[in-house]
Amino acid sequence: MTDLASTGSAGHRASCERARRVADRTLADQTLSTSEWPAGAVPSDLIPRSRKRLGWALMAAATLGLLAVIALQILYKSDVDTIGFETWRPVVYAYVLWGVALGIGQVLTRGEDGQRALFLLPALLFTIAMVIFPTLFGFYIALTDWNLSSFSGRQFNGLDNFWQMLNDAYYRNALFNMVLYVLAVFVEYVIAFGLALLLNAQIRARKFFRVVFLMPLMLSPVAVSWMIGKSLMEYRFGPAATLARHLGWENPAFFSNPITARISIMVLDAWTFIPFMMIMLLAGLQAMSREVLEAARVDGATAWQTFWQVTFPLMLPVSVTAVILRIIFKLKLADIIITVTSGGPGGATDSVSSFIYREYRDRSNVGYGTMLAMAYLIIIIVFVTWLLKFASRFVRNVN
Amino acid sequence: MKVSLYNQLVRAGATRRDVLKGAASMAALAAASSAGLGALTRPAAAADDLRAQILQIPGVGKGQPTDADFQQVGELCLGATKANVKEGEFAGVELTFMGLNNQNLHNVLFRGFLKPWETYTGAKINWIDLAQADYNARLQQSIATGTVDFDIIEMGAPFEGDVCGKGLTSEMPDWVKDQIDMKDVVAYLQPPVGTWDGKQYRVTVDGDAHNFNYRTDVFADADLAKAWKDGGGEGEWGVPKTWQQVQAVTKFLKGKQVNGQDVFGYLDAPKPWGGFGFYFLGSRASAYAKHPDDKAWLFDADTMKPRVNNPAWVRAIQDVIDALPSEPADQINADPNTTAFQQFLAGTGSMVTWWGDVGSNVKTNDSSVVGDITGFSILPGSDDVYNSKTGQWDKLASGPNHAPNCAYLGWGVYVMARVDGDEKKKKAAWSAAAHLGGKDLSLWCAAYPSGFQPYRNSHFNIPEWVAAGYDEAFITSYLKSEADSYNHPNAAIEPRIPGIFQYYSAAEDILANTFAGKMKAQEGADAIAAAWEKLTDQIGRDNQIKLYKASLGM
Repeated sequence: MTDLASTGSAGHRASCERARRVADRTLADQTLSTSEWPAGAVPSDLIPRSRKRLGWALMAAATLGLLAVIALQILYKSDVDTIGFETWRPVVYAYVLWGVALGIGQVLTRGEDGQRALFLLPALLFTIAMVIFPTLFGFYIALTDWNLSSFSGRQFNGLDNFWQMLNDAYYRNALFNMVLYVLAVFVEYVIAFGLALLLNAQIRARKFFRVVFLMPLMLSPVAVSWMIGKSLMEYRFGPAATLARHLGWENPAFFSNPITARISIMVLDAWTFIPFMMIMLLAGLQAMSREVLEAARVDGATAWQTFWQVTFPLMLPVSVTAVILRIIFKLKLADIIITVTSGGPGGATDSVSSFIYREYRDRSNVGYGTMLAMAYLIIIIVFVTWLLKFASRFVRNVN
Repeated sequence: MKVSLYNQLVRAGATRRDVLKGAASMAALAAASSAGLGALTRPAAAADDLRAQILQIPGVGKGQPTDADFQQVGELCLGATKANVKEGEFAGVELTFMGLNNQNLHNVLFRGFLKPWETYTGAKINWIDLAQADYNARLQQSIATGTVDFDIIEMGAPFEGDVCGKGLTSEMPDWVKDQIDMKDVVAYLQPPVGTWDGKQYRVTVDGDAHNFNYRTDVFADADLAKAWKDGGGEGEWGVPKTWQQVQAVTKFLKGKQVNGQDVFGYLDAPKPWGGFGFYFLGSRASAYAKHPDDKAWLFDADTMKPRVNNPAWVRAIQDVIDALPSEPADQINADPNTTAFQQFLAGTGSMVTWWGDVGSNVKTNDSSVVGDITGFSILPGSDDVYNSKTGQWDKLASGPNHAPNCAYLGWGVYVMARVDGDEKKKKAAWSAAAHLGGKDLSLWCAAYPSGFQPYRNSHFNIPEWVAAGYDEAFITSYLKSEADSYNHPNAAIEPRIPGIFQYYSAAEDILANTFAGKMKAQEGADAIAAAWEKLTDQIGRDNQIKLYKASLGM
């Protein structure tokens, strides 16, 4: 390749004619090592202008074709013209063809760089089609009045959904509940840390306990909802309720009053996900150097001091990661609530997701439901970005 | 018929046969069966022969019917089809059928029933099977995105607004009406149900209504009767006939015991249940709100102005609020599934409204302890009924006003409009639908596990059931409460308008807040009315008015 590379850099300065001659000679001399790959690769500056032109033309034609199909279809669907397709499927085909043309064009115009691009392009185009476009389309839907039962179909209505959302007491209530749910993560963290410390200590049957404590995480939240929320905690025959009665709680109704219902939901969710935090913290504890702990002991630190002065600060990065991941999980909380309380009593346990689920699924209110989801998405992005910033600064300051 | 009811009846039948006939006669019966079912049938009219004959497939006590049985029934019931269709007439026609596969019923049976039909007519059917939970979403998406990819659909009547109201279904030809003997269908499922703008669309294959289930032991208890008298209770201690009595009894029963167990009165279902929970407020409200002189009871038919905040509905909401403190402590978190299956069947509460499932589960469900102490009747009435036109409460000369809540109206088979362009295909699709809704085939569906309840007058011919091997007392009491609801002159009919479940679901959320004490009954009702007005505007008011009137046959 040295030969080719040097001729390449020479060709950078020389005229194209000369470059092509050099390249031809290089290929004719068979100096190209067999281990080179890709075999037919040609540096971009050695590509004949005609081939580049062909590549540009192909890409331009494909792009024009795609835009034409999209424009045609939009006009047809908005009843402006009468030529078009019954479904949007041809647009997808045009997009795929455009992608293929784009790939070929890249190779034709950019040679080896183009071939490298081929590795990325399919994934990129797929992401655009499956993530970016739907997200943008989602924002558009959020600005429409679209009830699946409506006779007039989807109608653009600007920010109406947004104003409605601001005045929606149910949505505000769900957001407020989310704050409570997220705050509960810190309690979960304390418990998880305690468990991790226990399982890190030299206790009997340590491996057994590690597996047992992980089990709740392996259960589906829906299964947990039924097994625990709707069976164990059932008011009449649930063992948990019976136990509570024996302990002197006269009416052990776990989901009847707003505060107990919220706490019950938090406990159910915590029971499922504390193991997740615990296992992360346990891994952190095990990765911690023994030497610092031994040094602390030599210096005469008590167990309490060792924990606060050594273990806890060293564990902060892991802790922050665990808490943030858990908060992200928590923001999606829906399944347990939908199954156990349907958001009740009187919306006390509603999470944003469970409310959107009802709005969207039960009421087919696609436009408004999407607006709620999009607003929540933005809130989450802003919140998590801030959280990550805050966390990294926090960790830096403490250490 | 529900699977559980069938199992219970089968158990009764099998026991009787074992006792009476013994093993030897079982062998003889088996021999007779193999020699041909004709040997067992009485010499009677051909139609009766056929009905008795199919009721022997596979025979009471012979276990769950299999696909071979479905096909045999389908084959035997092909007579009506043969009268209208020549052999091989639909050769080359392909149809797509979308339906449910709940509990391995519905479509699974339809497949077997239609197999001989396919063989005879030469048509081919492709199947789309859906779970109940996916059904609504799939249907709504098909409608909204204009991708109806099926020719025949199994569908509940409440969706008629969404589907028929949008012109997506094919009008029933007259020959189909004759073939399925429409006049035999029970009163409340007669048009306007199944029709839009006077056009018939639905081949009914099922019926549904709320009935009233009560504990016979509680209302015959001597101690309670004495306490009721001593406490100044009005009238004799007995099964409440009106909602006023239900309220009084519910309050009276708080803290009382029967056989050493706490007993409660009526069981409300305040927790949202995907829209279906609203039916239970509806059952409490129908006697107050459904005036015999007025077909409408949920909306004003001329304006779609909700009536849900009128005095009748508010009284029903207030009844729930008043009754909840007398019901079990966690009642606020009970949905209809809880009231029927976790409470009533397990011995908590003495009154509950539900579809026929309570009746079919009391003796068969493993957790049921009320098998022999449950009675059935139509929904309680009310001493007075609200008249929306005058704004007054009327006392009827005929006594308490009863208005059974015919909630959900059951399943039907519909043909989609997309076959209309092709006469051969259209006839084929309607022939298939008519075959499934046939008079004789439906008797078999009512008697064996199928997912469908009785819905024809001819289904309530008790001797036919008894001859087939069913326990007379049980089937009589159970079917009577259903039949009386179905045929009631003042039945409250489901408004089959587009998005009806959106109305119900929106109401449920607000009701949950009202029952939780965040709003007063009137405030909650006003909030529901406001939400409904908004929905009506969103869906399209003029059309809703038109369709609401059409659905009520006005």
